[in-house]
Amino acid sequence: MPGVEEYVRLAQERGGKWVAHGDTVHLVVDPSDLRPIADKIFNEYGASFRTCVGTDERPLNNHFSITHLFTDDRSGLYIALKSYLDPDNPTAPSIADVVPAADWCELEAWDMLGIRFEGRRLERLVLPYWWPEGVHPLRKEFDYKSRPDVSLARSERVALRKEVGTVPLGPYHPALHEPEYFELYVKGERVVDVRYRGFHVHRGIEKLAESRMNYQQVNFLAERICGICGFEHSTCYALAVEKAAGVDVPERAQFIRSIVLEVERLHSHLLLLGVAFHLLGYDAGFMHMWRVRERTMVLAEMLTGSRKTYGINLVGGVRRDINEEKKSKVLSELGGLVKDFKRVVEIAVSAPNVKRRLTGTGILPKEDARRLGVEGPVARASGIDKDARRDLPYAAYKYASFRVPVYTEGDNMARVLVRVEEVFESVSIIEQLLDKLPKGPIMAEKVEIPPGRVGVQVVEAPRGGDIHYVLTGDGRPYRWRVRAPTYANIPALKVMLRDQRLADAPITIASIDPCFSCTDRVVVVRDDGVVERLEVGASW
Amino acid sequence: MRVLKPVELIVVASEKGRVTVKYPYQEPLVTSDFRGAIRIDASKCIGCGACVKACPPNALELLESPDRLVIRYFVGRCIFCWRCVDVCPVKAVVGTREFELATDRVEDLFNYTVHRRAECRECGSGFATRRMVEYVTEKSAVSEYYANECPECRKAKVLKAAARRRGGV
Repeated sequence: MPGVEEYVRLAQERGGKWVAHGDTVHLVVDPSDLRPIADKIFNEYGASFRTCVGTDERPLNNHFSITHLFTDDRSGLYIALKSYLDPDNPTAPSIADVVPAADWCELEAWDMLGIRFEGRRLERLVLPYWWPEGVHPLRKEFDYKSRPDVSLARSERVALRKEVGTVPLGPYHPALHEPEYFELYVKGERVVDVRYRGFHVHRGIEKLAESRMNYQQVNFLAERICGICGFEHSTCYALAVEKAAGVDVPERAQFIRSIVLEVERLHSHLLLLGVAFHLLGYDAGFMHMWRVRERTMVLAEMLTGSRKTYGINLVGGVRRDINEEKKSKVLSELGGLVKDFKRVVEIAVSAPNVKRRLTGTGILPKEDARRLGVEGPVARASGIDKDARRDLPYAAYKYASFRVPVYTEGDNMARVLVRVEEVFESVSIIEQLLDKLPKGPIMAEKVEIPPGRVGVQVVEAPRGGDIHYVLTGDGRPYRWRVRAPTYANIPALKVMLRDQRLADAPITIASIDPCFSCTDRVVVVRDDGVVERLEVGASW
Repeated sequence: MRVLKPVELIVVASEKGRVTVKYPYQEPLVTSDFRGAIRIDASKCIGCGACVKACPPNALELLESPDRLVIRYFVGRCIFCWRCVDVCPVKAVVGTREFELATDRVEDLFNYTVHRRAECRECGSGFATRRMVEYVTEKSAVSEYYANECPECRKAKVLKAAARRRGGV
């Protein structure tokens, strides 16, 4: 099991610099060494690749930089592998061939910062196709309010493969009502390939935080990254900033964070189970699942003041306390809830239409899951035993004992069952933490955030690990990078959907519990296969 | 028996009965802990702008003119976080449980708290707000002499005094 020394040696051998700070090992190496070191960390040491971060550091040190973030889930270490790049022509070798999980984040760094990756195909991923060439919005000289002139040829070709049939799925998912576009290529009833076009609703949240918000305001922005697991994002951001600045957060605040995180996991899993049953045509199960879920929503409102987007996190602590009255209310409510849930879910998964359509569909083999770096229940259903709550303990999880359910089948049923078991574990975690809730303040006395510090944090959201990277600046983050778990899970759909029946595609897509952001768009498909997207209310 | 398991849902359904609330003909859905829209008590507000600075979505804005200072609250942008309630030094911002805010008149979504500027006794120009000056004088006796001067005049006076001390250079 590699520890700090092994990772430090990787940099030392090649004449790089290193610094170990808390649970994070920072390695700074020459760009030419990125690939062999990343290869060794990912394929030999078996660390998880989380994401990569491009940063425009020209105002600080006249360089661009690229940082690959890994976590060693067995020794609980974060590894930040960084390289400084040329300011005029930032170029780095691509690691996507040795670390396939890095495919998207490299494309994102190219789109947003203009960092060129050698040895791979570069294409648009995040930016829309009509965005002008050479304008990279996350570069510091790009003002967050500016709107570049766009060409009027706003059309994109779809149905790229002519030899097979094309079934467009989206831009609204039939179940989740969110904008995304899957193009399924079919031969008869079988899906032979799939193309994904997403990021229709990129909101520029990172740029906004880096340009005009202050440290405490970003918590509320982070919470709005996702409508379902927003609290994970705001906790992750707060923990990353606290780690960077060395803020001493009171224990009680950390306990409250963990408790609310688990309440959010409860409602999220119940939501997905309901949606899955709905997709399988089992609406009675869907209704009852959401009836149970409503109880968790009321719990959340009682604990935080809001059913969703709780808004109780600040850098340094939380804003709402849990008093004795609330504590006993939560405990009595949870007892009834778990009984209710158990009864309904046992009936639901034994329904023949649910059982038959979940079992054996959408299989993701373990090797593919590891290669693509999938997260959360998707990974655990494919036999990868990883859970940030246990492996990289944060908030108050080290005070709770819980089981991490792992299935090896890798099919839709396994992904559903992982979530069912996690609901019981979450209830148990809430009960344990409420029981041990320490006394004391809920907000740190002093929150001072010096510029130029780095904090990396993983928080296990219901869908998998969120990762936030914060480079502190003057009054606001200099660079804030967010990666949600669905970002890592969508590429795995290519494997899951291939050679499946078309009818199983919606449930397979829903089984990763995808989470896209929402905005309104209209799509017009012309006869020749050209799609026109009309922005509603666009300002240009 | 296992074949009949799914039928059990009928038992669950009959036990639970109807759970859908006949909103809006029944009691509101929110509990006593709910955070809703805010209200600014104009008789307490001093126009310091702490709430404007804390507000994450810019629902609270400061509109300034030479003789007026206005705090504008646009509920359409409000995220009900109550940061303003936390930071208000005079407890003029209070949280309510209101959430039924739909309207067909956009003006209903705005709330204005208007303050008159304090007048500088040297140059006569408006600065801060009258209430703020009162608040500061109440809190600290030392500042009374300076409180009625605008920051510009204060700066000029300090410079003048420093110059005098150095022999009029």
